[in-house]
Amino acid sequence: MSAEFVFATAQYESGDWDSAPLLPANIIDTIARYTEIPVAPTGVIVPLSDARLFRYPLVYLTGHLPVRFSDTERRNVRAFVDRGGMLFIDDHNHDIDGTFHKTATEEIARTVAPLTELPNDHPLYSAFFRFDGPPTTSHELNGWGDNLVHKHLLAVQRRGRISVLYSNKDYSSEWNYHPDNKRFLSVDNTRFAVNLVVYALTA
Amino acid sequence: MRSPRSRLEIALRICAFGVIGWMFGQSLRPNAGVRVERVRGADVSARLPVWTRQSANVALHTELDAAPNDWIVDWLAALRHSGHVVTWSGSPPAIALAADAVAGPGDNVHVAVAGPDRAVIHLRDDAGALDSVRVSTMGATVTTPGVSGDLIATSGAQRATIQSPDTVRARAVVVIGNAGWEGKFIALALEERGWPVIARFGVAPGVAVSQGALLPVDTSRVAAVVVVDTALQSLASSLDAYVRSGGGLVIAGPASLSPVLATLRAGAPSARFTPTALPGDTIGLGATGFYPVASLAPGSIPLERRGPNGGIAVAARRIGAGRVIQIGYDDSWRWRMTGGPSGEAAHRVWWSRVVASVAYAPGPAPRASEGTAPVANLVARLGPARPAPSISLASQAVDQKILMTIALLLLLGEWASRRLRGLR
Repeated sequence: MSAEFVFATAQYESGDWDSAPLLPANIIDTIARYTEIPVAPTGVIVPLSDARLFRYPLVYLTGHLPVRFSDTERRNVRAFVDRGGMLFIDDHNHDIDGTFHKTATEEIARTVAPLTELPNDHPLYSAFFRFDGPPTTSHELNGWGDNLVHKHLLAVQRRGRISVLYSNKDYSSEWNYHPDNKRFLSVDNTRFAVNLVVYALTA
Repeated sequence: MRSPRSRLEIALRICAFGVIGWMFGQSLRPNAGVRVERVRGADVSARLPVWTRQSANVALHTELDAAPNDWIVDWLAALRHSGHVVTWSGSPPAIALAADAVAGPGDNVHVAVAGPDRAVIHLRDDAGALDSVRVSTMGATVTTPGVSGDLIATSGAQRATIQSPDTVRARAVVVIGNAGWEGKFIALALEERGWPVIARFGVAPGVAVSQGALLPVDTSRVAAVVVVDTALQSLASSLDAYVRSGGGLVIAGPASLSPVLATLRAGAPSARFTPTALPGDTIGLGATGFYPVASLAPGSIPLERRGPNGGIAVAARRIGAGRVIQIGYDDSWRWRMTGGPSGEAAHRVWWSRVVASVAYAPGPAPRASEGTAPVANLVARLGPARPAPSISLASQAVDQKILMTIALLLLLGEWASRRLRGLR
C-alpha cells in the first residue's frame, strides 16, 4: 500500500544512532492505537547518506554521542528539508550543553539553519492531543534527580512549517519500551508522538 | 450662304454637344471611364478622405505588406458599399492573437497566437517586450505574468493587438482526504505556487485536521476541490452542485473509487497498475503506479496514456458549467521527494497547472475583438487578395473634369463669337 506511513530512524556515521531500539515499535503501536492513519507494522532504518532517505518524509534521529554529518549526509539532509521533509532530533541525554546537544545543534545550524525556540502554542501541540507545550518526561522530573526541565522544543521553520524539530526532553528514553507495557501507565506517555506524526502528515 | 464665322460657331456648338453626349453615353456604361488608383499600404489612410470625395469612377487598389488597422478596413468596406471598386493585393502574414487570464495566483495570462508555419512572433505589452515564439504548424502558446495595457503580437510588418484580459482573483483550493503524504505535499505544492489552500485531512474517526473553513464550498470562494482519496467527509453532499455550477474538481488516485464520485468521475478505474522499476530509474510522475481509467464516461476525453498497454492515467470531462479531471496517480509526492533536484519544482508546477486547468474562473466581460486577426478581418470585409482591375488606357487617360471643361470652353467660344457679331 503506497499510502502507508513508515516510521524511519536515521542512521548516521558518527555517534550511537541506534540507542533507542524499542522506540519505533512503540510509536507505531501508538499511531495505530489512536488514529486511522495506515501505518507500516515495522519501521525502517535509513542511512542519511543514502537516497532512500527521501522515501520517508518524517525521520527520527537520536543518540548520546557527538553528531558530525559527513558531506554526503549533510547534502542529503539539506535537500531533504528543502523538499519538504521533517527531521525530528531527540537528545537521548536530556542534559544542557552536553556533547550531543552542542554538536547536533551546530550541525543543524551548518546544514539547514539555526534552531530557535518553538512557541508552546504552536499547532504541533494541538495537532491531535492538546498540550500546553512539550510534555515533560520522567527523566526530567527527578528521574535522574536533577529536576532539569526544558520548557521549549527548538525548531527550524520554513514558511511556517517545521523542517527540523529538536528536543532536549529525552523522549528517546521515555518512549523506549515495549508497547505492551503501556497498560501499566495511567496516562500514555507516547501521546505526543501522535501529534508529531499527524503534524508531519498534514502541515 | 453662311459666313465662315457662322460655320465656326455651328462647329463649336456641335463639338460641345458631342462632348456632352459622349460623357452621357460613357456614364451609362459600367466601369466606363473608371481609372485605377494604386497606393501602398502605408499611404492608404492619407488617401481615404480624398477617395471619399471622389465619384465612384475611381477603382481603389491597395498593395499591402501588412493588414491595415480595422478602422481603415471599415472605411474601405464603406467605400466599396458606396459603389467604388475596392481591391487589395499582397501577402501579409496572417497572424491572430487571443489571450485569457489564467485562473490562479500570479496574474498570469495565457496567450495563443496563430501564424504561418515557422514564423517568429514577438509579443509585447505597453511596458515592453514580453516574449517571442516560433509558430509550429498550428500556432504557439505562452503563459506570461502581468500583462500591462494592450498585448501586441508582431511578425514582420504585421501586427495584431488585443486588450489584456482582466486578471482572475485567485480563489481557494480545497484539498481533502485522509492524512497522508500525498495530500500534504499537494497542499504544500499549491501553497508554494501561491494558491490559497483550505485543507482537511481525516486522522481518526470524527477527528480531522483543518486549515481554513471548509464549508460552504461554492464558486464564490473556492476555485477547485482536490479529492485525494475516498474520505470526502462533509463535502460529499455539496460536491455535485458545486461542480455543476462551475467549480473545478480534481479526482486523484483512489478517490475515483468513491461511490459518491461515480457520477462525476471521468471514468471507472481499474486495479492499480505498477510499472516495473529498474535499479537506475529516477522516480518520475507515475513511476510507482496509478489507477488507470478502465472505461471512460460519456463525454470524457483521455489526456494522458501511460504504460505498455496505454492505460489512461489522466482523463477529463465537463459537467454542467464545471470541469473535472481524474488523475490516476496516488503518490506523486515521491516525484517531489525522490525525483532528483528538479522533481520538487516539477511536482509543484504540475499540480498548479492541473488545478488551474479546472479552476473556476468567471467569464471576462465582452471585449472588442479589434485587431486580433487583422488579415482574417481584411478578407472578410474586402474579399481575398486579387490583382488590380484592368482598365483601358484610353478611358483612363480622359478625365471627366477635363471633358466638361472642354465642353464649357466650346460653348463659351460659340456664345462670345455670336455676341461680338451683335446676335443674341
